[in-house]
Amino acid sequence: MTTRWRLIVLVPVLLVLGTAATEIILTLPSFGHPLTRYGMTVNTLAPALRNVSNAVTSVMYDFRGIDTLGEESMLICAVTAAVMLLRGRRGEDGNEQAGRVSGRAWAERSDAMVLMCRLFATMLFLFGVYVVLHGTVTPGGGFQGGVIAASSFTLLYLGGGYMVWRRMLHSPVLVALEGVGGLAYVLCAAVPLAFGYSALQNVLPLGNWKDLYSGGLMVIINIAVGIAVIGSFAALLLEFMEETRVPKGPVAEEDT
Amino acid sequence: MSVLAWCVVAWLLGIGVYGMVTSRNYVHLIGCLSVCQSATYVLLLGIGFRWGAGPPIFYDHPPGTPAVDPVVQAFVLTDIVVSAAMTALLLAIALQVHKKRGTLDTQHLRPLRPTE
Amino acid sequence: MSWLIGAALVMSALSGWLVVISRDPKRQVFALCANSLVLALLFFILQAPDVAFSEIAVDTVVVPLLFLIALAAIAINEGRR
Repeated sequence: MTTRWRLIVLVPVLLVLGTAATEIILTLPSFGHPLTRYGMTVNTLAPALRNVSNAVTSVMYDFRGIDTLGEESMLICAVTAAVMLLRGRRGEDGNEQAGRVSGRAWAERSDAMVLMCRLFATMLFLFGVYVVLHGTVTPGGGFQGGVIAASSFTLLYLGGGYMVWRRMLHSPVLVALEGVGGLAYVLCAAVPLAFGYSALQNVLPLGNWKDLYSGGLMVIINIAVGIAVIGSFAALLLEFMEETRVPKGPVAEEDT
Repeated sequence: MSVLAWCVVAWLLGIGVYGMVTSRNYVHLIGCLSVCQSATYVLLLGIGFRWGAGPPIFYDHPPGTPAVDPVVQAFVLTDIVVSAAMTALLLAIALQVHKKRGTLDTQHLRPLRPTE
Repeated sequence: MSWLIGAALVMSALSGWLVVISRDPKRQVFALCANSLVLALLFFILQAPDVAFSEIAVDTVVVPLLFLIALAAIAINEGRR
């Protein structure tokens, strides 16, 4: 279908959707006066029931923990599918060099950048781990901290080049991290079930409010999600980076 | 003011769909999809917002102070994970399409055509 | 306070529009980063710090990086063809 035909089909669709949208906009509660009872109840009861200060974490990992389990499985499945798609076509030789786009200038890496990247990659990884561990106390949590820690790996790539990065991150280790995180979450759901409680029930001692250990089972789930997310995103980045490699040919000047 | 938030949501969704329909490059199409996703984020957080309320973190003030809805924030967090995973998968598919067919132009790629 | 929310909403609508009208994928990457920063600001103004955290980390760092790597791989494959 050419673009013109697509637009001709789109116009009536947008008209219908536009009418529906106007109807909905006029019916929604006005902005700032929500009708959500569940949220108000969670805000009032969650700190007392679970000794946590972060109500969003309590909703994600305790009250609606089953949804987050589904989300973790979806993340693992998506990363597996992407790896399969990319690696299936490419093979698993490991005997490659950097691909080069012809006609583009290549600049030497400056020492200042290498130093800054090394410093900041370490600090960023530490910051990501800090955000994961303080998930139940301050804004943060497993997912946020995991993505921050995984993005610190890109600074390693910037600073050291592909070969350094490849030597530090081994694909089996990342995949194992991802699997361990997912398995820990499933065990947190299955072990209370085996002992006669409901799945994901908070069976551990709850800890104190504002403490690092607060929330019982939520702490373990938090760390499991953090580990799984670090593994998933780093594995994804690694697979995509491998796509820019070409089979070994004449010797390149310097591997980037 | 109260209608502005919902109008912005409808606008973002509409412009995202328009971008997807008139796109000439698959990678550009994936970017427009992320605009549609951001419309859902704004809608969910707009539903949970309350005037004069703080974030749902009870570290400094005691529980009982008015706070916005934490349940919709959990929804949006899940939504962001889904969007990232979906973008990664779509980009992998776009890479494979380019390797097999040699072009990323939406006009020249018909589905299920046997490779010539 | 309400003017701040109104301004942030209008800016997010604008940045979404900018992502769509950047037709060249290499330019769209930067529009995506800007869109994500504006959205994170909006989420912060709407009293959602967890969501702002997650949005910045994912949509400003990871997704544009995936886009750039995909575009580089496409350019390399184009060159080898």
